[in-house]
Amino acid sequence: MIKRSFFGCMTPKLSYAVVDESYAEPVPVSPKKKIILFFSPTGGDSPQPAFKVGDTVSAGQKLCITDPAVPYMLSSMSGKITDITSMTGIFGKKIISATIAIDDPSQQSVDESFKSIHQAPGLGNAMEFLKCLPGYPGFGVFADKNHPVQTIAVLGMDNDLVSATNQYVVKNNIASVKTGIGVLRQITGVHNVVLIVPPQLVQVAGSSGATLKSVDMAYPSAHPVLIERYLLAQRDKPQNQTTVKSVAFFTAEAVAAIGAAYNTGRIPFEKIITFLSKDGRKRLVSAPVGTPLQDILDAMSETLGDGDRLIVGGPMTGFSVYSADYPVLPDMDTLILQESKTIPEQPDTPCINCGECIRVCPVKVPINMLVRYLEAGQFEVARDQFALFACIECGFCAYVCESRIPILQHIKLAKHTLERL
Amino acid sequence: MSATPKLTVSYAPFWHNGSRISKKSCNIFMASLLAVVPGVYQYGVPALGVVALSVGSAMMWEIIMNILTRRPISIGDGNAAVIGMIFAMLLPATAPWWIVVIGTCIAIVIGKHIYGGIGGNPFNPVMLAIAILMLSWGKILDFNAALASYAFNFNAVYPLTLMKSFGASAVGGISLKDLLMGRQIGGIGATCGIGLIAGGIYLMLRGYIRWEIALSFLAGVGVTALCFNKVNPVYAGPGIHLLTGYTLVGAFYLITEDSSSPVNFIPMMIYGAGAGILTVLIRNIGAHVDGVVFAILIANLINPLVDKIRPKTIGEVITHA
Ligand code: SF4
Ligand code: SF4
Repeated sequence: MIKRSFFGCMTPKLSYAVVDESYAEPVPVSPKKKIILFFSPTGGDSPQPAFKVGDTVSAGQKLCITDPAVPYMLSSMSGKITDITSMTGIFGKKIISATIAIDDPSQQSVDESFKSIHQAPGLGNAMEFLKCLPGYPGFGVFADKNHPVQTIAVLGMDNDLVSATNQYVVKNNIASVKTGIGVLRQITGVHNVVLIVPPQLVQVAGSSGATLKSVDMAYPSAHPVLIERYLLAQRDKPQNQTTVKSVAFFTAEAVAAIGAAYNTGRIPFEKIITFLSKDGRKRLVSAPVGTPLQDILDAMSETLGDGDRLIVGGPMTGFSVYSADYPVLPDMDTLILQESKTIPEQPDTPCINCGECIRVCPVKVPINMLVRYLEAGQFEVARDQFALFACIECGFCAYVCESRIPILQHIKLAKHTLERL
Repeated sequence: MSATPKLTVSYAPFWHNGSRISKKSCNIFMASLLAVVPGVYQYGVPALGVVALSVGSAMMWEIIMNILTRRPISIGDGNAAVIGMIFAMLLPATAPWWIVVIGTCIAIVIGKHIYGGIGGNPFNPVMLAIAILMLSWGKILDFNAALASYAFNFNAVYPLTLMKSFGASAVGGISLKDLLMGRQIGGIGATCGIGLIAGGIYLMLRGYIRWEIALSFLAGVGVTALCFNKVNPVYAGPGIHLLTGYTLVGAFYLITEDSSSPVNFIPMMIYGAGAGILTVLIRNIGAHVDGVVFAILIANLINPLVDKIRPKTIGEVITHA
């Protein structure tokens, strides 16, 4: 945890992780008995799974649900479906969870449908097979004809602290990233590709064939919204305002996975995760999507105790889970195990108007006023007068708040409530 | 593993930089000792009594209000102790006990809790208390009368009274070094310039007070005093104004109070400088001997208004529904 600096008069700075020689190769972890796949439907009318308990699946087989946005997951291992449950996630998000008891690693059967078409890359087959690669490539934006994509931004830098996943991919796997960028250009027809990297990776990234843009190491400058703003400001204002151009974001990991998939015909499932253990040690782990977190903890010889916190995603924007029986998700860049005694306590004090949050907010939200209205539940006033929706949800304000108000949570709750109205 | 461990589940961010209100209070309290200890040394045991009673009664009022309003006991955050301490800094060493208790009562009950407690007060609680006392029992806060029983080895007339009644020539003999070293009469913690400045610099560097406000206040006082002095030398120069009365204690402990001051850069400048200018105007033209109290209260009054001048939020969507 990065503490307040002694000289508190200066604007606080938080630095992103830097991937350097101290990072060993990712430790491979395989699921022991089962994998769990999470489907997060976006559609309203309770989407149904098109598979049932008892079905056998092979590695790479599509499991579909009736949902327009991400209508399938690919099973990363072969096995037999033993359980299907629907659950409710954060802010009432629906999740369908499928548990698959996996076959013995020596007897894995592999689904060959992607292999048969991999030599003819196209947006269609990418949408059909590659939507849930590690890193969740966002092909969906290309379908929106009102917002033609003018730039593809490849994030070689992680959005949250601690995570070094995408930096690692750029540093050690730039060849796959290059292939992936080539494929993306070919299948989307968008030639303007920008690779976002931290300054020390500019040299390595030079061979990728994309335009390079290095970002500052101070959190949250690698935030997609800030990058998008920068990229769009670079272009001349379009003559006719009727079509708004947009930026498509892909993580470096996703791009490398796309490259690998079309190169070999085998869809990669290994997700690289930055794991931060209780003692503050950072290690990289590579585990197939769906691996239960408990298997990762076991492989890292970490034990979970009462009151510990298991955090998926970074320390600023992630979420904590109820049990280690939670799977590796395609976009899970970071896993943090926080010991109960290092969890900061949360007093119950109102905003004292100290102004720390104002100094750090990257988009200059008047947080000291906003939070008063949010605490009182006056979400409309917060939206209309205090720029609630301008917040990019970086969490920096709550990190420095002297009253330790859960500002980010208040903001998310208010946005969620207003959006449902 | 046998039993599944119960994990802590909560919201992001999961890290915190470790700052908390009690740490801030503790630092302000310690820094104020730099000015209070020389004061106690100068005025002896009665001063110590005032300080102790003030801090103690402020905390007592806080507990009473917590119980009356059925809220958690909040003296742990140290804010009440800080209010008591700063209140004592402004009092003469001879202040009777009931004045101290009434003063802290006004500060904590009327100044703070009526508005909803910490963070809700529109006025600096200490300033409010001092202003009410000044209007009600002016004699007790008149430093010349209050400290008459002391024998000092320096000119024992409150410099601001001298200046008010006889003009700059009367304070011409006072060297700035004496003022810095605390060889002047005044509030317990308001005379030792060096201690106040040291504490103030410490607090500004640590970020416990907003340096923008403190410095713009001092600049406001200095520049206005200089203008007066240049136009008509009957008015004292900036040095005297900066080092006498409540100016320094005001700059570092009063005007920087969190809840009643702005947080954006330009408003902080306007607020600080405005209060500084008002201070000198009241001292030179107005009816009161020291202008800091009313200047700060007026600045508190305009704070919500000036703090509306805020930088444009990037990406703000303005909808006219
Ligand atoms: S979470 Fe929102 S309000 Fe807070 S610092 Fe980040 S952008 Fe600003
Ligand atoms: S950091 Fe917290 S206490 Fe300070 S002004 Fe912001 S919301 Fe209020």
